Amino acid sequence: MNSIDADIVIWLNGLSGNVKVFDDFIRITASDYLMPLVFSLAMLGLWFSGKTPAERVRYQLTMLMGISALSIANFVVWLINISWDRPRPFIEHADQLNLLFYSPTDPSFPANPVAVGFVAATAAWSINRKFGLCMYAAATLFGFSRLYAGVFYPTDIVGGAIVGIVIYGFTTYLRRFLEPLVTGFVRLIRGLSAA
Amino acid sequence: MNTDPDVVRDLFASHYFLFAFLASLGTLQFVVSNSGTRGLWLTPYAVMTRWLGVGLIIVAIALFFLQPLWVDGPWAAGSVEADSLTREWGKASWDELAGARNVNDIDGGLDGVKQAIWFSLAAISAFAVSAIFGTLSVKINVIGEQRSADVLQPENADGLAGLANRSYLSNLPDSFRNFKSDIGGVWRNGINDAEGWSVMKMIFGKSSK
Repeated sequence: MNSIDADIVIWLNGLSGNVKVFDDFIRITASDYLMPLVFSLAMLGLWFSGKTPAERVRYQLTMLMGISALSIANFVVWLINISWDRPRPFIEHADQLNLLFYSPTDPSFPANPVAVGFVAATAAWSINRKFGLCMYAAATLFGFSRLYAGVFYPTDIVGGAIVGIVIYGFTTYLRRFLEPLVTGFVRLIRGLSAA
Repeated sequence: MNTDPDVVRDLFASHYFLFAFLASLGTLQFVVSNSGTRGLWLTPYAVMTRWLGVGLIIVAIALFFLQPLWVDGPWAAGSVEADSLTREWGKASWDELAGARNVNDIDGGLDGVKQAIWFSLAAISAFAVSAIFGTLSVKINVIGEQRSADVLQPENADGLAGLANRSYLSNLPDSFRNFKSDIGGVWRNGINDAEGWSVMKMIFGKSSK
């Protein structure tokens, strides 16, 4: 499995250096700022996008679940990281990879940025299938660009995606544990004319 | 890295805030133009507001990623490599622009927590700006279409629904009054409907009956 994982990242990263425009596109989509901002904007957009009061409450609860799931996903990734310190591909295959991104110092598995992207995408998908698919595409592009850049293995990306989806599902279930606090919070923000 | 990480972090924080603010403002305008929340429109017209939103998002992204061309930072031409350890202070070149922003957080880039904090502040600022300019939009709409906001306002509309034809400040007292009168019922109904294993039901279940 490790060998297939390494073969894929080495083959994919081997394509870099041929088309500069594509490499530059990957450098920007792999950046710490662009895709995470897209996910944050999606959550912000959800908060304001309902057209009826009932729809708004549903969207806003989904947004709150999304944000809570992001925090929980980060915690779960950290727990996995401290129990399995998987080295990054650019460390294990330094002589075969052309690194397009800075060298992160945290463990490789699971891909934290991908987990974050898939949490946001799953939240969006639970509201609107088309919007959700666009967000899944954005999260996949984020993972692909980090893979192409040589900082993750394919299994890290898949692991991150699974963590994101499962944690979102778990968080929506967990919400019932805190009700009516969550609904009351949304009602408070509505009292401040912002929900 | 041949530059002080704290200086780099401050630079990134200010650039990121502007990036997040413009993009949040754009997203907000795009979304509220679709949902008809006039009290948050930057312009009096839906189509104009929508396109302004799209424009703001594009400007935000372009500004953030092009800024290294004219602003000094840890991306001096010739020093931008994949890793951020050997950066020099200066302006970037076109050739190295795409990788200029890829700076590790230990070298001064923003980590996830800092981004979350700056994004929240930027989103709140975007909402405040929208609420201020929305007041003007509502006034122009009301005058332009010769109608009274009170007539169009659905009964008891508050929150974002109340902003459909009212400014933020005129909507706030009604929203807060409704909140104060509703919250007791919301809480009691919520406790009654909650799962048996809800923490809130376990703590407040008896007292709310």
